[in-house]
Amino acid sequence: MPKEYKTPMLDELEKGPWPSFVKEIKLAAKKNVMSNDLLGLLERSYNERLGHWKHGGIVGVFGYGGGVIGRYTDLPEEYPEISHFHTLRINQPSGWFYTTEALRTLCDIWDRHGSGLTNMHGSTGDIIFLGTKTDELEPIFKELTEAGFDLGGSGSDMRTPSCCVGPGRCEWACYDTLQRCYDITMKYQDELHRPAFPYKWKFKFSGCPNDCVAAIARADISIIGTWKDDIKMDQAEVKKYAENGVDIFNDVVLNCPAKCMKYDGDKLEINNNDCRRCMHCINVMPKALRPGDDKGAIVLIGAKAPIVEGALLSSVLIPFLNIDDDEEFEDFCDLVEEMQDVWCEEGKNRERVGEFIQRVGMGNFLEAVGVEPIPEMIAYPRDNPYIFFEMDEDEEEEEE
Amino acid sequence: MAKTIEEIADFMFKQVSEAQEVSKKLKPGDLTKLAIKAFGDEGVDKKMGKMAIKELVLSGKCVYTYFGGSFLELPHREGAAND
Amino acid sequence: MLDVMKDRITDIGPPDFKEYLPPAVKKNYGQWKYHEILEAGVLVHVAESGDKLYTVRCGSPRLVSTTSILFYTEIADKYCDGFLRFTSRHNVEFLTTEFDNVAKIKAEMTEYGNPVGGTGPSITSIVHTQGWVHCHSAATDASGVVKAVMDDLFEYFNEMKLPAKCRIALACCLNMCGAVHCSDIAILGIHTAYPRIDHENLNKLCEIPNISASCPTAAIRPATVDGKPSVELIEEQCMYCANCFTVCPAMPLADPVADGISLWVGGKVSNARSEPKFSKLAVPFIPNNPPRWPEVTSAIRKMVEVWAENARPYERMGEWIDRVGWPRFFKLTGFEFSKMHIDDFKYAGLSFKRSAQITHE
Repeated sequence: MPKEYKTPMLDELEKGPWPSFVKEIKLAAKKNVMSNDLLGLLERSYNERLGHWKHGGIVGVFGYGGGVIGRYTDLPEEYPEISHFHTLRINQPSGWFYTTEALRTLCDIWDRHGSGLTNMHGSTGDIIFLGTKTDELEPIFKELTEAGFDLGGSGSDMRTPSCCVGPGRCEWACYDTLQRCYDITMKYQDELHRPAFPYKWKFKFSGCPNDCVAAIARADISIIGTWKDDIKMDQAEVKKYAENGVDIFNDVVLNCPAKCMKYDGDKLEINNNDCRRCMHCINVMPKALRPGDDKGAIVLIGAKAPIVEGALLSSVLIPFLNIDDDEEFEDFCDLVEEMQDVWCEEGKNRERVGEFIQRVGMGNFLEAVGVEPIPEMIAYPRDNPYIFFEMDEDEEEEEE
Repeated sequence: MAKTIEEIADFMFKQVSEAQEVSKKLKPGDLTKLAIKAFGDEGVDKKMGKMAIKELVLSGKCVYTYFGGSFLELPHREGAAND
Repeated sequence: MLDVMKDRITDIGPPDFKEYLPPAVKKNYGQWKYHEILEAGVLVHVAESGDKLYTVRCGSPRLVSTTSILFYTEIADKYCDGFLRFTSRHNVEFLTTEFDNVAKIKAEMTEYGNPVGGTGPSITSIVHTQGWVHCHSAATDASGVVKAVMDDLFEYFNEMKLPAKCRIALACCLNMCGAVHCSDIAILGIHTAYPRIDHENLNKLCEIPNISASCPTAAIRPATVDGKPSVELIEEQCMYCANCFTVCPAMPLADPVADGISLWVGGKVSNARSEPKFSKLAVPFIPNNPPRWPEVTSAIRKMVEVWAENARPYERMGEWIDRVGWPRFFKLTGFEFSKMHIDDFKYAGLSFKRSAQITHE
């Protein structure tokens, strides 16, 4: 008989309108002793205001260096079923689309080999299988790969790329996020499974500047859709929005960051030459305004959360890339590999590429990877005179 | 002269073993750099370094570990494991 | 060859997403024309072909049992030709070409406990981390705080009555697995006690130069303690980030009293109107108070209400604060402003008020 835990603290979190994770743990606990012990341990954490987990560093599946996060409770005698409670990251399909058949297969594998608890999905985008024992890792891996799934990244490797819903269900997708996310994932399977970098490396693909996967905040390479030509406009639909109560002057025109719109109460005008492609006017009136036809992506580099040297947002590396074009995509991949080479050569342990660029200087980084500096890359030129002038070789020789 | 993947893997294994004796951890990238330093550019390139690491792991001689970053170590008991 | 290598399948990657797309998505792939929000949580996407695809977006606790996933598959089999998807913020979405199915999906999912909402100017699911459920370095729980906050803000999930969308995210320590640092409201677990150095075991478990290098403020130096190689901590330089603990388990710093939550405000990732920006410190520390963290939920409600009342339409939290200024934010919320709010890390000077443009509160 599994132990029966009294959980008054957690029971409180079964109440209320928002879906309850306690209900989920209890559902899993009905079928599974690990989840039952998790319930007991979590109630204890709520009472003590303290977590009870130790970080493993060595468990994994044979041959891979990522995809499994080792976890052990520090109270194994009292909660023996979760003495081991490892996480598996499973690479999600692009855009998190599933057939019910695939989900049933995943649930079946997980019910037989693990806690029956998941995250759909983790912050990385992966399917998370939450809690299993060391001995179950190989059988799970075997069944997953036979079912067509593979592990995602963890540690100092290429992390599982993720993308927005893109052309699958969004009129604003400026490139095929689903396809390019899949392509990158397949091209770099070795980098994803066998950590060989100074630290993690993330790709995130957003189809437009609304950036639904937060690429600019957290991906080392943030690929954000944009367009070059004019915003497509349907004046009749603009009129309908106005009739239906949209305050076009105040809510659309005045909110334009480029001040490139005019509205005379009848017609909307856009000076597309000044448009920054911020998406606001399109967001407000999706039936009347749409991105143009000459679509592609902006590639930005270097975002990360605070650890170690402080948080960074990505900054522009390539202002426009026709990423749907196979040749341009291949050239982009070559550049990525070049950047990774430079970073692997010179980067310090646990130094993200954004931090690396901060340390060596963006100008030097661009030079090392063979990219020309252009004004699109900066918010403004330097405002200090501490310039490291580089003399050309002849001059240097003369000085000597 | 180019080294064989086995020779490079043996060299790397020795590096990992010696490092572990003084409780130092090496990253896969460190191992490739050490091999290039020892055998020269003609002896080893990055691709061969990668293949040698794969060989080390698939032979069971070394395992990937994670402590804030990823390392290559001799298989050992998990520090955090419960008996 | 080792036994484990026999018939081993590796490096196959994820399934090809094209196999998992519903027929209507496959047919109209890249050919969507526009969309409308029909009601909170219900979208219709209209394709160039004239096809209509309805989406019902349901809130999820993110921590989901296989039992519930199997329930979702039943709904999808019944109404959505056996397909469903999840969103970047952990919601589960049911896509159907039959408008009549919308109400049925909504009813069945709501009945099961997954309410419908989170579209347009609303508060949708909170992106979050593992907390006490699974993390070794958590300074607070994640799922429980999220549940308490969303219960409290539920009226903003299933109704669209805010000036703009409001994105909330939670990370249970400074590692920020959830990259919460560009959210309208970020809930961040924070330690405030120094790491306790286990000199006896440190050298066995950890590599000393790695520990020193892990510290953002260079507070950790190699030292010999009781004849054993170890490290020493310069306490004045420690800001409890727990990065040393991440590389070395012999430096734990979790503490029932000293761990808690900080609140950050005004970040965004979208480029709409203003450029993406980081969230800024609103409340430095609130002690953990499980199971419902009432001090946290009320501080968040305060921020949401003050913003909702004062912002212009489409103005995100950070855009509103940028317009009216931080003195107004602190006045209206009643949050105490202290020395802790003034940056003292790299480039701190950039955050000082360097102009004579000022409001009088």
